[in-house]
Amino acid sequence: MSNDGLTAPDPAATDVVQPSSARDAAATLKRLSEEGLSTVVRGSGTKMDWGRPASKIDVMLDMRRLNRVLEHQHGDLTATIEAGATLRDVNDVLSRLGQGLPLDPPFADEATIGGILATNDSGPLRHRYGAPRDLVIGVQLATTDGELTKAGGKVVKNVAGYDLSRLIAGSFGSLAAIVSATFKLSPIPDASKTIRLAARDAAALAQIVRAVMSSQLDPMAFEVGAGPPGAGAPSSPGAPRLHALVRFASLAAAVDAQVAGATAALQPLAESVQVIEGYAERTLWRTHASQLWEKPGAIVRASWLPASIANVLDELPGDAELVGRGAVGAGLVRIGGDETEQARVIGALRHSPHFGNVVIRRGSPKLKTLVDVWGPQGDRGRLLAAMKRAFDPNGVLNAGRGPL
Amino acid sequence: MDRAFLNSLRRIVGDAGVLEDRLDVITYECDGLAHLRQTPGAVVLPASAADVQAIVKLCARAQVPFVARGHGTGLSGGALPVAGGIVIAMSRLNRVLQIDIPNQRVTVEPGVTNLEITRQVAPYGCYYAPDPSSQQVCSIGGNVAENSGGAHCLKYGFTVHHVLGVEAVMPDGELIHLGGPVADTPGPDLLGLVIGSEGTLAIVTSITVRILRRPEAVQTLLAAFDTIEGGGGAVSDIIGAGIIPAAVEMMDSLAIRAAEAAVHPNFPDADTILIVELDGPQAEVAALFDVVVDICRRRGATTVEVATSDEHRARIWRGRKAAFAAMGRVSPNYYVQDGVVPRTRLPEVLNRIRDLEKRSGLRIGNVFHAGDGNLHPLICYDERIPGQSEQAVEVASEILRYCIDAGGSLTGEHGIGADKAEYMPSMFAAEDLALMQRVRAVFDPRGLCNPGKVFPTPRLCGEVPGPYRRHPAEAAGLADRM
Repeated sequence: MSNDGLTAPDPAATDVVQPSSARDAAATLKRLSEEGLSTVVRGSGTKMDWGRPASKIDVMLDMRRLNRVLEHQHGDLTATIEAGATLRDVNDVLSRLGQGLPLDPPFADEATIGGILATNDSGPLRHRYGAPRDLVIGVQLATTDGELTKAGGKVVKNVAGYDLSRLIAGSFGSLAAIVSATFKLSPIPDASKTIRLAARDAAALAQIVRAVMSSQLDPMAFEVGAGPPGAGAPSSPGAPRLHALVRFASLAAAVDAQVAGATAALQPLAESVQVIEGYAERTLWRTHASQLWEKPGAIVRASWLPASIANVLDELPGDAELVGRGAVGAGLVRIGGDETEQARVIGALRHSPHFGNVVIRRGSPKLKTLVDVWGPQGDRGRLLAAMKRAFDPNGVLNAGRGPL
Repeated sequence: MDRAFLNSLRRIVGDAGVLEDRLDVITYECDGLAHLRQTPGAVVLPASAADVQAIVKLCARAQVPFVARGHGTGLSGGALPVAGGIVIAMSRLNRVLQIDIPNQRVTVEPGVTNLEITRQVAPYGCYYAPDPSSQQVCSIGGNVAENSGGAHCLKYGFTVHHVLGVEAVMPDGELIHLGGPVADTPGPDLLGLVIGSEGTLAIVTSITVRILRRPEAVQTLLAAFDTIEGGGGAVSDIIGAGIIPAAVEMMDSLAIRAAEAAVHPNFPDADTILIVELDGPQAEVAALFDVVVDICRRRGATTVEVATSDEHRARIWRGRKAAFAAMGRVSPNYYVQDGVVPRTRLPEVLNRIRDLEKRSGLRIGNVFHAGDGNLHPLICYDERIPGQSEQAVEVASEILRYCIDAGGSLTGEHGIGADKAEYMPSMFAAEDLALMQRVRAVFDPRGLCNPGKVFPTPRLCGEVPGPYRRHPAEAAGLADRM
C-alpha cells in the first residue's frame, strides 16, 4: 500500500523464509547469522521502503505465519500477540470483548504488530494512548545467537530487569526479530464525535493549539493539519488550508458535554466549526490517515514544540502538506517538487530551530543519495553502534537501512 | 581510600564536596532499605554535570566503582554503596532549569524532589503525574532510576511515560542526550531503556518531564467490605465495565487499624476497604462515578463514603499514604514487600497470603494498588524474638513466589536493586538475563556503574541479609518512612 516500489529490494535475488514457531525463528536467525547472510525481518511489508536504500538482501525472514493472539486477558486489559498478526485482525479479536490495542499508524489494516513495534509507528490515537513504546509491557525476541529471550512481563506494572521491549521499539529490525509482544489494552469508548476547526492563518491555528492544551478538555485525538482539506471539510476553492480536528470519545453524554464546551471555547478562534459524527466521522478518520500517502512527493516524519506550530507552518513550502498531533508536536509532512527541491527542504527543516527530528519516511533512491534518511544521531552515535554490535555481531540484520 | 584519588576528587568538587569521615558518611550507608548496609570509601557531592563527568572519568581511570544516589528513599537497596567504591550524591544538583507552560514541559536537575515539580507548576493549573508515596522527599533522579509509579499510575502510567528526555553521564564520563523536549528521536528507545535501569547504565544529570493540566473533576470514594472477595470483585467489575479509574487502592483490616492509629483518617472498621478515584471531564466523572458506587454496593459494600471536599479527599489519601509508616504503631518491626500479580488473580493470591499468615504466625498487613495488581504486603515481626527476623524474610520471599506463580512480577515499583537480585532467576531464564547483561556491558564495559544491583551475584562482603532496621536518620528523628 505504501510501496511505490522505488527502493524495494529485488525479490528474485532474495530467499524467503517463513518460520513456523518462535523456536524456528531463533534457530533460523542463528543459521543466517553464522552464514553471514544479509537478512531483513518483515511482516506485511507496508514499510519495506523506509530507511536507507537496502544493500543486498539474501533472506527475508517473513514473520507472517506467527500471527496468533496468544492470550487476551480481558480482565487484566492485556494481550500477548505474535509479531506477524495484523493490527486489524488483532483488534477484530479484542473488540469482541469491548477492548482494543489503541494504535492507528499508517496502513493500520495491513501492518503487523511486529512492524508497528519495530518502527514505533503511531497515528492520531497517540494523543491519548501514546506510541507503541508506551503500550508494550513485554516482548519475546529471537536474537542472532539463536536464543529466544524475553523481557518485561505480562503485567502492566513491572520494573524487574531492563525494559528491552522499549529498546526494541524503534530499532527497525536492526537488533533482533520480534517474535511476540504483550501490550496493555484499552476499553473501546461508547461514543465518539469530532470537531473540525478551520483556521484563518498559522497564528490562529497556534491559538487553537494553546487553547486546547491549556483547557481541561480530554480529547482522544487532537490533530493539526495544513494542506488540501480532507474529507468532511468544505471543498470550495479558497477554503482555509489550515485546520484542527478534536475528537472526543467517552460515554455519549460526556462526549456531548465536551463537544459543547470545546465548541464554545474554540469558536472565537476558528473560521468555521463543524461537528462530525457517525459514518462521516469514521470516513474522516480513515481518509485522514491515508490521504497523505496517496499523493506523490517525499514524506518525512517531523517533530516540533507544540506551541511553536505557527513557526513550523511558516517554514514549510506553500505546497507542503502537514498532518500531525497538535499537543505531541509530531507528525508527517509531504514535500513536493523534484528530489533536489525535496532535499533542500529537508535540509532546511533540519537546520531550523523550530523543528526537532526530521526523518524521511518515503523518498526515492535519488532523494536518499542527496540527503540522509535519518539525520544526525547527536551524541548517541557511539552507543547505538555498540548496541548494534552487541545484538548483531556479524552485522547481518536490516541490510544497512538504519537507523543503526 | 587511596589518598591521591581522594585529592583528585577534592580538586573537582572542593574540600567540602568530599566526605570520608565515618560520621559524615553514615547517612549514605544505606537507602530506605536499611537492613542492607555498606560504608562507602567516600561520598562525593557534585554541583554540576561537568563535576559528575570529571568524577566518573576519574573512577573509570582508577577502576573505582561508583553508586549514584538521590535522596536515599529507595526501598530495594538500589543506592547501596559498594565496598571500596564511592557514592555520588546528587543532592546539590537541585535546580529547576526551565518551566515551559505553553509546551507543558519542565526541565530539572535530578536532585529536585518529585513534589517540587508540581509545586512549581501548580499556579498554572498543572501537575506532574507520577506520585510515589515518598513524593515529598524522593528525588526525580531516583524516580528515573527506578521508573517510579504511584497510586495514580493505573490511568497515568509511570515515570517512563512522563519523561521526554534526559542528559546523562555515561560510565566512561561522556555526556549523552537521550530524547529531548521535542518528540521522536529516531532509533531504539534508549531513553526508555535507561529509565528504570536502577542507576546501572548511566547517571542522569538533567531531566525534561511532561506536565499535565489538572483534570476538571475529581471524585473519590471509600467503600468498606466484609471480605477481600467483595473488594476484589468490585475492582474487577469496575475494570470490566470499561472504566479506568485514576486510582484503585485496597487496604486490609490490619493496615486500616495501623493507619487509623497513626493519622486518624476516620476509616471504617472493616475487613477490606477500597479507595476509588475518578478524574477527568465533569460529565464523564459524574456518570462513571454513579456506576462505581453501584458496583461497590452490588458487591456487598457495607458503607460507601464519598469525599465531599478536597480536605475530605486529602484525609482519605493521608490514611492510605501513611499506611507503611503506620505499621510501626502496631508492630515493633515490619518488612515491606513489593510484588505484582495480574489483577484477576488478586483474590486468589491474597487468600494464599492469608493462609501463609496463619501458618507462619506473623501478621501480614496488605496495602496495595489493586487496579494494577501491585501488592505491598507488610510483614510484622519483633526482632527481639530470636528467629523472627529471619522468618519475616522467608515469608516475604514466599509471597514473591506466589506472585511469580500467578504470572506476575518480582517488583512493581520498588525495583530489584540489591534486595531482589538473587530472585531474578525465578522470573527470567539465564538467556534473558544474559541478554540484559550484554546491554549493560554496552553502557558500562568496566562494570563500575552501580555494580551488584539488578543481576544475581554472590552477596558482597559486608552485606548483612536481614529484614527491616531503622535507618540511622530515622533513629535520629531526621526522617520518616513513607
